[in-house]
Amino acid sequence: MFENFITSLMTVEGFAFYLFSFLTIGLFSVTVMSKNILYSMTSLAAAMVLVSGFFFLLGADFLGVIQIIVYVGAVIALYAFAMMFFDATRDIKEKNTNSFVVFLLGGMSALVLVLMFAAPIHSNDIQALYPMTEGVGNAQDVGMVLFTKYLVPFEVAAVMLLVAMIAGIILAGKKMNHSITENMEIDNDAKDEIMIQKDKE
Amino acid sequence: MSLAQFKNRNVGSQSYVTLDVGKPPQGGWCKFKQVAKRTFKGELFVGLWVVFRNMLQALFKNDMHTVKYPLEKMPISPRYRAIHDMLRLLESGNYRCIGCGLCEKICISNCIAMDTRYDEEQRKEVSEYTINFGRCIFCGYCAEVCPELAIVHGPRYENASEQRAGFSFFEDMLTPIDKLNLQQEYDGFGAISPNADENIKKTPLAY
Amino acid sequence: MEATHLLPEVTWVGVLIKTVIILAIISALAGFGTFIERKVLAFMQRRLGPMHVGPYGLLQIAADGIKLFTKEDIIPQNANKLIFMVAPLITAATAFIALGAVPVFPDFTVPDFIPFIGGTFVPSIASDLNIGILFVLGMMASGLYGPLLAGMSQANKWGIIGAARTAIQFLSYEVITALAILAPVMLVGSLSFVDFNMYQSGGVSSWLIWQQPVAFILFLIAGFAETNRTPFDLLEHEAEVVSGYATEYSGMRWGMFFIGEYANMITISVIAAIVFLGGYDASSSIGWLTIMLKIAFFFFLMLWVRAAWPHVRPDQLMWFCWKVLMPIAVLNVLITAIIVLL
Repeated sequence: MFENFITSLMTVEGFAFYLFSFLTIGLFSVTVMSKNILYSMTSLAAAMVLVSGFFFLLGADFLGVIQIIVYVGAVIALYAFAMMFFDATRDIKEKNTNSFVVFLLGGMSALVLVLMFAAPIHSNDIQALYPMTEGVGNAQDVGMVLFTKYLVPFEVAAVMLLVAMIAGIILAGKKMNHSITENMEIDNDAKDEIMIQKDKE
Repeated sequence: MSLAQFKNRNVGSQSYVTLDVGKPPQGGWCKFKQVAKRTFKGELFVGLWVVFRNMLQALFKNDMHTVKYPLEKMPISPRYRAIHDMLRLLESGNYRCIGCGLCEKICISNCIAMDTRYDEEQRKEVSEYTINFGRCIFCGYCAEVCPELAIVHGPRYENASEQRAGFSFFEDMLTPIDKLNLQQEYDGFGAISPNADENIKKTPLAY
Repeated sequence: MEATHLLPEVTWVGVLIKTVIILAIISALAGFGTFIERKVLAFMQRRLGPMHVGPYGLLQIAADGIKLFTKEDIIPQNANKLIFMVAPLITAATAFIALGAVPVFPDFTVPDFIPFIGGTFVPSIASDLNIGILFVLGMMASGLYGPLLAGMSQANKWGIIGAARTAIQFLSYEVITALAILAPVMLVGSLSFVDFNMYQSGGVSSWLIWQQPVAFILFLIAGFAETNRTPFDLLEHEAEVVSGYATEYSGMRWGMFFIGEYANMITISVIAAIVFLGGYDASSSIGWLTIMLKIAFFFFLMLWVRAAWPHVRPDQLMWFCWKVLMPIAVLNVLITAIIVLL
């Protein structure tokens, strides 16, 4: 077992794999453990980018780049929320009422996930259902699988995203017609009313 | 405007006159029309052309605004009130100052100090004349009041020096006798600057 | 892909040499870019620009470099020190990583008389990914983490405004970049720079700008936003937010932001030149000269626009990107798709 590890470390790919693995796990644990929002977010972003390294190692360049692009954007959106809700330079005081339950639930779900993904490793006949086609680009390969076998899930995901987008627009756009600068009179009236109310008090 | 209006500090209650910039576009279609009009009008490219034309002129016609100051200097306007000069009479080479003391009297910052005496020909002669440039406010009254055009404001505007005294003695301000032929007559306060013609530009309306 | 088979095999030594060349030349060019920018802006305002250090002020770059390297590296007291120190590295590093997948200089073989590396083939692209464009855009996108982290970590109000603007700018332009580049990608049917170059190898008339003018303009606009150039330089606009994300930075850390910015400008110019303006002709040195001219033109365009146009407000940028450019981009993609299918 240990010799296997050493020999795989000697190859470039093996070394890169273990480097990426340790870095990713380390960064994700910083994400979980750190009390500083800036550290957690930054390590999350870095780990997400490093995950793409595995895709590059496996020759799935397209998926690797998509991983980078998607998660860079997603984590930037998270940053925006963090900026609004937290002071980035301070540590956060957690209110943890029952750490046992949190630990139990988190640990159990992690265990289940690991079992789920590790189970097939014990069987010997692992093979790619859709092996990469020689001479065809990465993007085409992904596209072929996506638009034949997985067309329905793909379309369903698209519809779900559309629903989420429309919901977001409706939620955000309720007062879109009301312009603060163009309806000054109304605003002044409202201000006067507030002043009058204050006077009464 | 009356003073009361200036003393009113309640910002927002004054009677401001708003500029007429037209009505903002109402509704989506009008906004779209405005955007389309502004997009295809090509005004942005006019801006690009203006700066590009400036660059061409700067590069090929050598029409630069930069004055490399210590190396080249702009001609100074006669109205400019720099360090004083004491002028000489062109014929005899004597200094023009007759020691009347008017400049000392009118100086509002009390920076001119002069002393006079009679010389052997019983003419009045200036024995001491200093201007304290630490106090001088360059108001120009001394030059204005001088009956002989003896004290004028010269072109030396570079006042930085290691010693204040470097400017302030009569001999420093007096035209050197060997440079008498280079002495410039003072044009007076109403005079225009020597390069006034070059500085006149067309109002930039038509670009 | 056929053309690459004719070339000698790419060894890791060659890639290493290429990487060093990119690092050396582009970081020098980034410094030179600041000089060119100052000169061009000066001429457009009929000034002289830097004149006194060296002939025509050319050594001003060296003077600036010495200044940046020797200045004190100040870290504010309440800042998050680690993040504050790492942030400029992200901008500079991602800019150079992005350049790794871009064909910048011609490929050549190291002459034999040089010891150790003689005879090594140095490719024009350090790593010829078959998804080159996506990789470059993704890397440039992650480069915006630099300003974002810098702004958030420095415990400065201007910094946090700069960081917030970084986030909204990123979320605005990124969609446009992807959608704009998608239409030419659909025409070519590949994401590789080499394929784009081959597709347009038939002279000026085969350039993609004639088939995709809308995509070209959209990509250019998004590229200006991506590199924080003037119509969209919200992150560090002095008149509004002091210096935005770079307010508390000094010395070389500040300098790294700008090396990254200028390297990104070069990258955007290269992408625009290869994807829309015909790219390079690998067979002759004139082909490489023409792409240099194209890159130089785009670089000049960025400076030109900076001299001429005012910049927009953040809300205008968002409005512009989401309500104007994105519908146009989607329509462009749709029309291109229909034409490709027909």
